[in-house]
Amino acid sequence: MGDKNKADTSLNPKQRSRREFLENAGTTAALASAVPVLGISTAQAQSDTESTAAKTRIQLTVNGSRHSVDVEDRWTLVEVLRDQLDLTGTKIGCDRSECGACTVIMNGKPVYSCSQLAVWADGAQVTTVEGLASGGQLSAVQQAFVENNGPQCGFCTPGQLMTATALLSNNATPNADEVKQALVGNLCRCSNYNAIVEAVVMAGERSGGAA
Amino acid sequence: MSEAIHIGLDPLNTIGNATARVDAVERVTGEAKYSRDFKLPGMLYAQILRSPHPHARIRAIDTSAAEALPGVRAVITGDNASVVWGAGSVSGGRQYNDPTKDATLHRRYIFNNPLRFVGDSVAAVAAIDRHTAEQALALIKVDYEELPFVLEPEAALEPGAPQVWPDGNLCPDFRNNFEPMVSNLGDVEAGFAEADQIFEERYETSFIHNAQMEPRAALAHWEADKLTLYSPTQGISNCRHDTARDLGLQDHQVRIICNYMGGGFGNKNQNQDADLVAATLSKQAGAPVMLEFSRRDDWLGVHGRWPTVQYYKIGAKNDGTVTAIQMRGYSGMGPYRKNSGGISGMDVYACPNRLRSISPVYTNRTTSGNFRAPSEPHGFYGVESMMDEVAYKLGVDPVEFTLKNMRRPTDDQPFTNYSLDEVITRGAEQFDWASRRKTTPGSDEGPIKRGSGFSFMMFRAGVGTSSAIVRVDAQRQYTLFVGVTDIGPGAKTTMGMIAAEELGVPLDQVEVVAGDTDRCPYSVGESGSRTTIQTGYAVMQAAKDLNQQIADSGMPTGSDVLIASATPNPSTDGKTRQCFGAHFVEVEVDTRIGTTRIVKYTTVHESGRIINPTTARDQIRGATLQGIGQALHEDLLYDPASGQPLTTGYYRARHLTHLDIPEIDVTFIEVDDGYGPFGAKTAGEAGIILAPAALANAISNAIGVRMTSLPISRDKILEAMA
Ligand code: FES
Ligand code: FES
Repeated sequence: MGDKNKADTSLNPKQRSRREFLENAGTTAALASAVPVLGISTAQAQSDTESTAAKTRIQLTVNGSRHSVDVEDRWTLVEVLRDQLDLTGTKIGCDRSECGACTVIMNGKPVYSCSQLAVWADGAQVTTVEGLASGGQLSAVQQAFVENNGPQCGFCTPGQLMTATALLSNNATPNADEVKQALVGNLCRCSNYNAIVEAVVMAGERSGGAA
Repeated sequence: MSEAIHIGLDPLNTIGNATARVDAVERVTGEAKYSRDFKLPGMLYAQILRSPHPHARIRAIDTSAAEALPGVRAVITGDNASVVWGAGSVSGGRQYNDPTKDATLHRRYIFNNPLRFVGDSVAAVAAIDRHTAEQALALIKVDYEELPFVLEPEAALEPGAPQVWPDGNLCPDFRNNFEPMVSNLGDVEAGFAEADQIFEERYETSFIHNAQMEPRAALAHWEADKLTLYSPTQGISNCRHDTARDLGLQDHQVRIICNYMGGGFGNKNQNQDADLVAATLSKQAGAPVMLEFSRRDDWLGVHGRWPTVQYYKIGAKNDGTVTAIQMRGYSGMGPYRKNSGGISGMDVYACPNRLRSISPVYTNRTTSGNFRAPSEPHGFYGVESMMDEVAYKLGVDPVEFTLKNMRRPTDDQPFTNYSLDEVITRGAEQFDWASRRKTTPGSDEGPIKRGSGFSFMMFRAGVGTSSAIVRVDAQRQYTLFVGVTDIGPGAKTTMGMIAAEELGVPLDQVEVVAGDTDRCPYSVGESGSRTTIQTGYAVMQAAKDLNQQIADSGMPTGSDVLIASATPNPSTDGKTRQCFGAHFVEVEVDTRIGTTRIVKYTTVHESGRIINPTTARDQIRGATLQGIGQALHEDLLYDPASGQPLTTGYYRARHLTHLDIPEIDVTFIEVDDGYGPFGAKTAGEAGIILAPAALANAISNAIGVRMTSLPISRDKILEAMA
């Protein structure tokens, strides 16, 4: 779990000017970060190459960090998470409320972030898959996914984990049927459903409410 | 946790022990980077404009308004970008290579005119963000001349049918002859003459989409004449070679990166048109380009299992001996022949008289392509439904009937090993076949009826070539370089386990480097269930070589390293090598509303030695569930009047959800036949082959009516009971 704020080592002038711009605008430092595999900038383009569409400033808290982001009306929450905050763990499978790959927890409830406009998230508390582990320690449901092969291709996994986390916070020890009911909005085309349900049940049994 | 039952072999040091994936933590924390998760400085976003018509000629395209939109950096059409997508259309439908590219008569370009299906690419735009690119698409004006279209393979062969290509709608073979694919063994007419009874039936199977969760994307980036592509591909080596060939580059000028892929299920062990479109746009715009498919784009542009029609004629004696099998089949390929159009299954019977003729046919639907076990699930459904029907008509238990008629090793054609008797017998016992099946189909009183069905298979597990490199440093840290990509089955982990076993070290002492053609040697690609056998064997041989080097010269010291590589070309000494399996399922059909509920599902597989029990279990369960979806629900519908696809997303395509999932019992009979890495065989496709046949037979056993069309959806059951 790399340090998401430790990014500004690039010599790319675009990134530096963007960073300065953001700092001048009073935003938190977490906006510019690096793709670890590449070690290159992920900062947004300079303003002369940005869309001229009107923007609204929203404030939201993601995984405990406060962010202030200027968003276009047409942006969705998942676009803000992935494109602006570099939280690419949240996936887009359909972009239209059919698959659940984009599930995040918003104000305590699992939602499809592809189908939430960014402006609606003003003031919201959001948890994404990157926020599940704490202090390098996987959550109980993450750990169960590791042990029981919860991910096959892994593309639906973040969404499954978020819905499961929301379930476990309401029902600490769900049985298999309750897990299936709760997770019905999260498709898995690898059809790894049995393993996912087993993992969520196991997480509940192990932690008995501390998930 | 429900564990698979393992019979026959004990675990080795690493192999055979349930093992968490080497990249499991990345997968559960969101750190795993899929193609769309990469960003490059100055990266543009691209979108494709697709044909709204099933068949149309482009009279003119006006892109001026799109080009004038602020933020648009490149617009390409067939007028200014003529790139052949070689793997997109192949005479004979074989693996794409230099000779087939040269031979292919019906070329497919990244933009084609005429357009031959709804979704055929018309133009592509790169812009500073995805919304600007979307806006630009709407500004492209296209003058279409609509042409007549045809959707069904049989209709496409009728005289006067709309012509998808000028030479007729039967696809050419690899010599560009317009002939069906025929295989003829023995003498079927003699076999029919010998028979006491003749059975005939027509079967039909649907067009279904691979529907992997990650929609297609491609990020292209040029540095001088070197192209780097981040692309979800099942085979980085093939993707590189295909892309280089299509763009007129040398292999070393193309780098493919794919560490994680959100599912494949076949048909992506080459390059994709998305790769070529992104590369072309990127060159034109002078900036990195991320091309993103929407879910609808993916549905229209990325192909699915070919729909088929199968006419069977079977001759049998009253004692249950099959004397002749004949099948005439038609496969709907869409307007390009990307893959074979095969319909397999009859070769698992020993009957000496077998005649098969398959016509792959052009239509104006989305192009078909390989889907997990490309020729099998629909073919096994057809032939095993047929045989089930014959068995019941002759009053024979289908399991007995199979044991009597299935193919066995012969003196002329020995196998490396043969487990089918044990697989079937054990499955029947575990499932309690004798008491669960209805001796008289449909005999349950009342509207809710139970019945049981069975299917069996053997499937190729041949050996072949791949490469591996393994290195050790003075700290005794081993690094394995393999050109695999992990699309779900867990190849990185499997390769690491094979290396650890052979090297005699724990798995955590082996780092696996994969998914990057600049760092990894050739691997066959995640298709045909071949990675474990082929690349795994190369890993084993490279590790053996390294062990020898260490024995000869000791561990390296200081900054020195020892490196071994292997590209073995193993053989099976003329023997046939197969994996084996049998599925048994009990269903409960509510004949008032047409629903099918699975009561019990038992699978028994012999896939050689199992490397990682955890991932192997879920290959069987996942593939079986996909097969259940194919059997009961999945069907890409087209409106016959307009040629429009009606199911271009998850919602209407009716894939299984959490609520549809039964328990699947998995048993592995483990064998080491002395071939492959530690005796491992194919597993990834095995489960899907059997599910449609087993379920269809179970439903027929419950309701007493043979179901001759997939999917066996509620409406069809209601119609059968009416
Ligand atoms: S991406 Fe949001 S539901 Fe599919
Ligand atoms: S693990 Fe691949 S879609 Fe669920």
